[in-house]
Amino acid sequence: MLSEQLAAKVLAEAVKTGGDFAEIFLEDRLNHSLSMLSGKVETVNSLRLHGAGVRVFSGTQGIYVYTNDTTEAGLIACARRAAGAILDGKGAQVHPLSWQDTKNIHPILLRPDQVKSARKVEKMRAAQAALKQYDEIAQAAVSYSDSLQRVWIANTEGLFTGDTRVYTRFFVNAIASNGTENQTGSASPGAMQGFEIFDHRIDPEACAHKAARQAITMLHAPLCPAGVMPVVIDNGFGGVIFHEACGHSLEATSVAPGNSEFCGKLGRKVASDKVTAIDDGTLPNEWGSLNIDDEGTPTTRLVLIENGILKNYMIDKLNARKMGMPITGSSRRQGYMYAPTSRMRNTYIAAGNDDEAEIISSMGDGLYAKAMGGGSVEPSTGKFNFSVQEGYLVKDGKIAHPVRGASLIGRGSEILPLIDRVGKDMQMAQGMCGSQSGSVPTNVGQPMIRVSSMTVGGR
Amino acid sequence: MTTEQFIHQLLDTAKKRGLSEAEIYLSSGDSFRAMSQQGALSNYTVNSTRGLSLRGIYNGKMGYAATEAFDEEAIDMLISGVMESALLTEDDSFQQIYQGDEHYPEMDCYNPELDKVEEKRKIDFLLSLEPMAKAKDPRIVQLSYNVISTSSGQVRIVNTHGLDLEAKDNIAYAYASAVAKEGERVATGMGMTISRDFDKLDAEKVVNDATEEALFMLAAEPVPSGTYRCIIENRCMPDLLSVFSGVFSAENAQKGLSLLAGKEGEMIASSAVTLMDDPLMQDGLTSQPFDAEGVACFPKAVIENGTFTTLLHNLKTARKAGCKSTGNAAKSGFAGTVRVSPTNFYFRPGEKSLAELMDDMQDGLVITEVSGLHAGANAISGDFSLIAQGYTVKGGKKEKAVDRITVAGNFFQLLKNIRAVGGDLLFPGSSTGSPSVDIGEIAVAGK
Repeated sequence: MLSEQLAAKVLAEAVKTGGDFAEIFLEDRLNHSLSMLSGKVETVNSLRLHGAGVRVFSGTQGIYVYTNDTTEAGLIACARRAAGAILDGKGAQVHPLSWQDTKNIHPILLRPDQVKSARKVEKMRAAQAALKQYDEIAQAAVSYSDSLQRVWIANTEGLFTGDTRVYTRFFVNAIASNGTENQTGSASPGAMQGFEIFDHRIDPEACAHKAARQAITMLHAPLCPAGVMPVVIDNGFGGVIFHEACGHSLEATSVAPGNSEFCGKLGRKVASDKVTAIDDGTLPNEWGSLNIDDEGTPTTRLVLIENGILKNYMIDKLNARKMGMPITGSSRRQGYMYAPTSRMRNTYIAAGNDDEAEIISSMGDGLYAKAMGGGSVEPSTGKFNFSVQEGYLVKDGKIAHPVRGASLIGRGSEILPLIDRVGKDMQMAQGMCGSQSGSVPTNVGQPMIRVSSMTVGGR
Repeated sequence: MTTEQFIHQLLDTAKKRGLSEAEIYLSSGDSFRAMSQQGALSNYTVNSTRGLSLRGIYNGKMGYAATEAFDEEAIDMLISGVMESALLTEDDSFQQIYQGDEHYPEMDCYNPELDKVEEKRKIDFLLSLEPMAKAKDPRIVQLSYNVISTSSGQVRIVNTHGLDLEAKDNIAYAYASAVAKEGERVATGMGMTISRDFDKLDAEKVVNDATEEALFMLAAEPVPSGTYRCIIENRCMPDLLSVFSGVFSAENAQKGLSLLAGKEGEMIASSAVTLMDDPLMQDGLTSQPFDAEGVACFPKAVIENGTFTTLLHNLKTARKAGCKSTGNAAKSGFAGTVRVSPTNFYFRPGEKSLAELMDDMQDGLVITEVSGLHAGANAISGDFSLIAQGYTVKGGKKEKAVDRITVAGNFFQLLKNIRAVGGDLLFPGSSTGSPSVDIGEIAVAGK
């Protein structure tokens, strides 16, 4: 809890040496996680995170100092250290703080810290029991985690606000083995929601079946041949390709320093006409949603690309100064240990008009990536690499057989114009996205899409 | 409440509430990190943090809880958390809090002079890099990432058996990523320097490594798909080894997550390969006198001349396997549970230089960087398929820059195929190291 009086003192101290803006962020967070391996509860962990960070700007320079010591003495010392790094600022006008209530657009019915751990274990057992039906599943890991994060934010512009964020997530990892080789399959749904998530959003058994089926399919799959070919990427976690190859390059952290291949391309065509992409923090109870961002700005829905034309970047306060553009309510951080910066929320390619069956039947020979694994990208060049968790070789428009070990490689700006089909059924999937301000929950999403030509790595 | 008072009150209360044994793991640290972009300071972070975890035996089982808040409320939350955790956990293996060893190695991982370096000196160092880089060549347009960091940390283990251990370390490093541009072509290169002595941070080396690589990679093209003779350079091999280091963990082996389970004594690699785990190494990034359970650390070979000698153990896995802990208990941060992890982990260097390895190979590929490791490598099966870059070798000489290729293979097969391990051992800013290694052949997907 941060009192108005203390916040005001800390902010005043932070701009004493000439900083032109200061902000304090205080966080108290309770994480609870349980894991089960081969039917036995293996770990039960509770963790209380607690700390605060003070940020001071002078022009486009940002200073961040944080500590676990949130006593008055600790926070004032923190503010002094931050102020000490400002050498020749023009000074700030410190506005009196006025509390601003946060409108909650993500109703929580059952706070997970009020649910007995035994009930959480029951959900894990249900998934475990479903996995038992598969002889080829040699090992199964099921886990559950929830998090209750309370934040307080105040700044020299007079903003004083706070929020409570509740996250619940469920993980199933299945390993199929034939003695000499192992293959994995997984499901990991989650939401900004309480324990009621199990009433309609998460079915532990369905997660288990999905993970098992994927692992077993891959165990029997031959290796994927390498080459350049048309690639169909299915909906849901397939959206990770847009997230990694384009989303990161549209964040101000890449754009402001000129490290993005999308620099200077606002209003220009960067993708095929079929592509509309959106970053939306307002979707009720979605994993990447927010009420307010970590600078206290109400979250927004932001169109990134509309019918192939680049419309917006994601911009935080500090980069807004560097770019001379407005903030977009998408400044985020893992917690008090990170200064916030522009980040994705729920980022997806919007539904199009193409028929899913036709997308495959008209592709000729190529790869159908039904489920994607993770990936990474180098923002300055847009080079990316994604593993295909579950892939199928397509011959003459027909799915021939599963293949394993495939990866998709290329460049974001080269792939976007080559998207020649966008299906109708948009789905989202959950992930943790790592970048400068730590690891934050994000949704990726898309309908089925087709890239007319792409490099497939394999053997 | 002071930290000392908190520790004693916590252990006392834990005993009163029925924990038969209990242990506190306390970690604290200070760090400084600054980043510059386009010649100006863009990010500047200073912090001092502390975190504490409690583990204890309740009803014969181990429970865990952790906190960053050191107040009365935290004491109750920790003990209740440990009790709940112990009650729900179905791990029936015998668990213990360690009594301690007779002797602990003397280590020197802390340089008091480093903590006295003024922040202005660090900033000056940082800001000197970009002008130096740009002066190297007009095609160097900027440094995209340019970071300096210093940090010091302290770990303390206190338990109800009277064990009270403390270790302290600090380190400084700087790195930069140079961006070279020529027409429409863009390429990047990395440079890094790391030391416990601030005066030994080498700006010239950071800039040279970063700019030379960026300029060289400007002309990079994929090679045709196919099978190539291949050397993996010392700056790249540690990344690959690091991803697969989990296969040497007894914990993974006992859970069926390592294909090396039960293979001790077998040849799992070519006879050119000796893989070391050395926690006592001078200037290692994971050098430590004791592990996360308070067990004294010592160096050991995990693979010796191709023969798999031992998995890495903590107390729990060692008890299960009927052997002694190898002192490899580790926690990921103060709040993590006790797992198994290598310390300073590296292929023991051979005799040959990279030039000699290339001469032996004659024609083939040298890989200098792989990316997409968290996605393109399966730590269980050993399969990997990774974006790579490097250069071609013709007649034993460096020829053309290569990028946008994927290399694919299997780690276990790679170990067996190794033809020679070079003499140029490098720890590229991590505690995993390697010399350049001739890995025989590799499958490449390119143009």
